[in-house]
Amino acid sequence: MQVFIAGKGVISSIGNNVAENFSSLRNLKTGVAKITILPTRYAETIPAAEIKLTNEQLAQLSGLNSSEPRTALLSLIAAKEAMADANIPNIEKWRVGFISANTVGAMDKTETIYKYYLQDPQTDKLLEEAPYDAGYVTEIVADKLGIKEHITTISTACSSSANTMAYGARMIKNNLLDVVVAGGCDAMSKFTLNGFNSLMILDNKPCMPYDENRMGLNLGEGAGYVVLVSEKVAATLSKKPTTTLSGYANANDAFHQTASSPEGKGNFMAMQGALQMSGLAPNQIDYINLHGTGTSNNDLSEGIAVQRIFGEVPKASSTKPYTGHTLGACAGIEAVYSILSIENKIIFPNLRFETKMKELDFFPVTILLENVEVNHVMSNSFGFGGNCSSVIFSKAN
Amino acid sequence: MALFINGIGCISPQKTFDKSDFLSDVKEYNNNRMVCVDADYSTFFDGGSLRRMGRLMKYGTAAGLMALKDAGINVPGAISTGTALGLPEVSQKFLKSLIEVKETIVSPSTFIQSTHNTVSSNIALLRKCFDHNNTFSHKAFSFESALMDACLLAKENTDNTLVGAYDEVSDYKYAAMKKTNELRSEPCSSLDIYGEKANGIIAGEGAAFFVLSKRETENTYGTFVSNKTFYKPENIEEIRSQILSFLKENDISPDTIDVVISGISGDTETDKTRIELNKNLFNAQTIVAYKHLCGEYMTSSAFAFWLACKMMKTQQIPSSIILENRNRAPKNILLYNSHKHNHSLMLFKA
Repeated sequence: MQVFIAGKGVISSIGNNVAENFSSLRNLKTGVAKITILPTRYAETIPAAEIKLTNEQLAQLSGLNSSEPRTALLSLIAAKEAMADANIPNIEKWRVGFISANTVGAMDKTETIYKYYLQDPQTDKLLEEAPYDAGYVTEIVADKLGIKEHITTISTACSSSANTMAYGARMIKNNLLDVVVAGGCDAMSKFTLNGFNSLMILDNKPCMPYDENRMGLNLGEGAGYVVLVSEKVAATLSKKPTTTLSGYANANDAFHQTASSPEGKGNFMAMQGALQMSGLAPNQIDYINLHGTGTSNNDLSEGIAVQRIFGEVPKASSTKPYTGHTLGACAGIEAVYSILSIENKIIFPNLRFETKMKELDFFPVTILLENVEVNHVMSNSFGFGGNCSSVIFSKAN
Repeated sequence: MALFINGIGCISPQKTFDKSDFLSDVKEYNNNRMVCVDADYSTFFDGGSLRRMGRLMKYGTAAGLMALKDAGINVPGAISTGTALGLPEVSQKFLKSLIEVKETIVSPSTFIQSTHNTVSSNIALLRKCFDHNNTFSHKAFSFESALMDACLLAKENTDNTLVGAYDEVSDYKYAAMKKTNELRSEPCSSLDIYGEKANGIIAGEGAAFFVLSKRETENTYGTFVSNKTFYKPENIEEIRSQILSFLKENDISPDTIDVVISGISGDTETDKTRIELNKNLFNAQTIVAYKHLCGEYMTSSAFAFWLACKMMKTQQIPSSIILENRNRAPKNILLYNSHKHNHSLMLFKA
């Protein structure tokens, strides 16, 4: 049974919707810049890929109140776009699920309230805190989308939104749901900025994944969703789906809480599992959207695992030089980019690449490739806790 | 597909870590916050890692390892967990330090443990489990989603999935709950929360893990038949029809249910519906409660799952959990729990 992708939606530092993201990707326009929205002492010293809109502006775009967590504002904007794009007729007759990912939840709210709490453990500000958690973000978005049948939230660090797509596809294949809006969201927070900074894996310049001289990652924010539908639902659509979710796998590196094993064991197993499910041979993959964060450790482990799986490595690039690392949102955003690649016969370059890594035999795509046949795209997402997931998108027949 | 429960591990505000015991000595709390009774963690971890681990990391991981040991399995086929709040205590420690030093120099040690998937990945790390590893963080659907994941995995040819849930009450969240009047006013006895006409809950926490398998073993506790979640039911009628359709989907009539584990929490306002449903649907069943033992928290249904396992295996129902005794042997057990908008049903068969 095939699972089709009927719609997609995205908001990131390079655009508020799919069309704007596509235009930035084609025009090599990065979202990495000086921090101007998040109030942090690192505004001048550490760049990030922020969405240059205030919560009030995002509230206007989303239709939610600006007092809601920034994560939720982003989530609703992208999820609404995905549903509108899918435009499923008589959607009320199908079993619809919303499976969303995030890692920071309402941390922007907690950061503020917690400051008052430290000064006064009984501060009235605590009245605002009570409902906030990862699931809160999903529920207020589900309510706005009108989805009630099945909702849940996955939080497996940077692989979170890849796992929502896999879980959604499995629910459809097992005839538990007909339609699933899957993906994830995360907003910038001082918590994550300081956390990654304390691990000394942030680049203080725009990041350079897969470069010999890479210095770390840039954080980003955004949301990306796809609408997964069963064959039955796909048959009712006026706009024929262009892609299927043909493979996915979830593996664990079981090596270290925050670092990847040198041989990228979990990465290897995730890619291998996804290939197996899709029934594709490695040489049938036309493009790999790499996890490629720009840290010394990730790119080396992932690169070694990619070489082991593919031998001759297909065209590959990390799109994180455009969007930064959006954590719980990245696999959702990169799913949208992978589908754009198939639909438009285009491969987006790994911006800013200069020098090949000496440990690897391959280097990423450095220029925009147009009019190339892209039938199958693999997208990787690996995270803290050794959580590794790969998904494969294929051109629909 | 019903799955055999072949190993269990539970750390809670009661002494639940002793395999041979079944609530023989119930611990009473006289305030509105219940905390886990610690097991001897030195049997699970070496001194160095014990010092580095936060409280929830310790008891969450230990509960997972206990379930594996109980099932006689070293490496599970997959790990799927649920946690509503992740690891709030270490997260807030990190937040506190970054606020205090105004974002200058903070230690990464608490940040490293702050992601929601920390416990499930820690178990994978300790047992070198390279397979499927998932963490759901959706309020009172967290454990429920992990169970659904485990059921799907069984259909997809994975066996011996370690499934579980873990949550803790952090000082900060407790302060917020207190502020919003969600808690019982103190002093109050945890053992006397259902009869009183009082509002508010007792905050609780805990971790419980289970090994779900396709094959029965000598250690099998019973079977987990199925579960279902539903969100924001409009009224009691909808809840009623959800329960009935769940039973029908599983080919079981309401009167063959022997024991109903009720999510009654002692909060008079929210208990109204629960009591009404019990009266309405289950007047021939033994009704048991559990939140006086573990407190109210969003993954408390994992504690109830543990309770079901113990009842099935021992074929006993401790008097300390009985609300309505209809003298039925615990063969078919239904759990109905609810927390705000999240409603959960689980079915067990001894």
